[in-house]
Amino acid sequence: MLPLLRCVPRVLGTAVAGIRAAAPSLPLLQPASRPCARPFGLLSVRAGSVQLPGLLRPWGPCGCGCGCGGLHTEGDKAFVEFLKDEIKEEKKIQKYKSLPKMSGGWELEVNGTEAKLLRKVAGEKVTVTFNINNSIPPAYNGEEEPSEGQKVEEQEPELTSTPNFVVEVVKDGSNKALVLDCHYPEDEIGQEEEDQSDIFSIKEVSFQSTGDSDWKDTNYTLSTDSLDWGLYDHLMDFLADRGVDNTFADELVELSTALEHQEYITFLEDLKGFVKSQ
Amino acid sequence: MSLVLRNLQRAVPLRRARLREKVQAARRALGVQRFDLGVVCVDNRKIQQINRIYRDKNTPTDVLSFPFHENLKAGEIPQPDFPDDYNLGDIFLGVEYIFQHCQENEDYYDILTVTAIHGLCHLLGFTHSTEAEWRKMYQKEKQALEELSGHTGTRLQPLSRGLF
Repeated sequence: MLPLLRCVPRVLGTAVAGIRAAAPSLPLLQPASRPCARPFGLLSVRAGSVQLPGLLRPWGPCGCGCGCGGLHTEGDKAFVEFLKDEIKEEKKIQKYKSLPKMSGGWELEVNGTEAKLLRKVAGEKVTVTFNINNSIPPAYNGEEEPSEGQKVEEQEPELTSTPNFVVEVVKDGSNKALVLDCHYPEDEIGQEEEDQSDIFSIKEVSFQSTGDSDWKDTNYTLSTDSLDWGLYDHLMDFLADRGVDNTFADELVELSTALEHQEYITFLEDLKGFVKSQ
Repeated sequence: MSLVLRNLQRAVPLRRARLREKVQAARRALGVQRFDLGVVCVDNRKIQQINRIYRDKNTPTDVLSFPFHENLKAGEIPQPDFPDDYNLGDIFLGVEYIFQHCQENEDYYDILTVTAIHGLCHLLGFTHSTEAEWRKMYQKEKQALEELSGHTGTRLQPLSRGLF
């Protein structure tokens, strides 16, 4: 039977080689200071065996001696160092240290990854809700070869968050909300120089009861895919009159991007703390 | 057929429904309502970029036309063989430029209408590179605007007035 660690580079590929470059003296998956007491041959998992994979079995109190009960591997140490650098770099490029303000008198409420913008306009309450999760469209230039003289680092695109957003309009004294689901255009390959899409578009429109927290599928939902263009333009004008226009849409991208970046950095910090667990 | 309207700018607040109504009227006045048309509203930066790329003029302007049917004789209405070819092309309206040049006593949407008619005439093969060509275009714009004025009561003048 082959020693397990001889198999590892084939399983983990170049990642292992990279990490090994950072810590060449010790085997990757062994706890830091405790010498391995088993021949490597016995560390592989046999089919049907009740024995835990030896490499992943906790060694009682943490092998690195901190006594926290968690697992601290060389991989974890390298991971924490990587995260320290990543957090430092992300904070360096952070465009907004605090969230940018929207023009037009919108109040902002943030609950984790969900943000709400609220505005009262002469007898109406307008709420715009969006979530920064999955709001960064994939970049398509990852497969391009760098052009002559261009460094690879210069190719990294500026990430922007373009979340779908839902506009709710409620007139005073009513329990009926007009709800409009709005999207930013999706960048398609080959369309970068011929972008003739509206800055944002309305995808669906529906009435929902203000008492219901969930979207009711039994309420008629108007899809704009095959909608009369004249009606569509009236809906866009309706939104613009309530402050949801192209300026709003551009500012929302700035706000969402800033919020997403903030959440990303917080996540990295939490991840560092979790992995470090000391 | 379809009039596709796009507003790519935030420099000037735009009433899409009102602009659509005006351009629809312009299409009817020119007898081309059965053709698809694209109208794209852009700011000075964008129209200057398009003007630079396609006309080698690094300056904003009021309208740029991109015909679907090239080489039409002035005023020739296309007679396509296929439904997909019932398309006149696209007009880019420099709405910011137009707004900046709009006089106090002028209605902005009337000026947009006049500009759209000028752009539509270009899509129909009219040009104003020579005086003779300009005369034909001026007459066509005047005719369309007179028909519009008959419905709206306004007296609008062609964009190409004063070019020669």
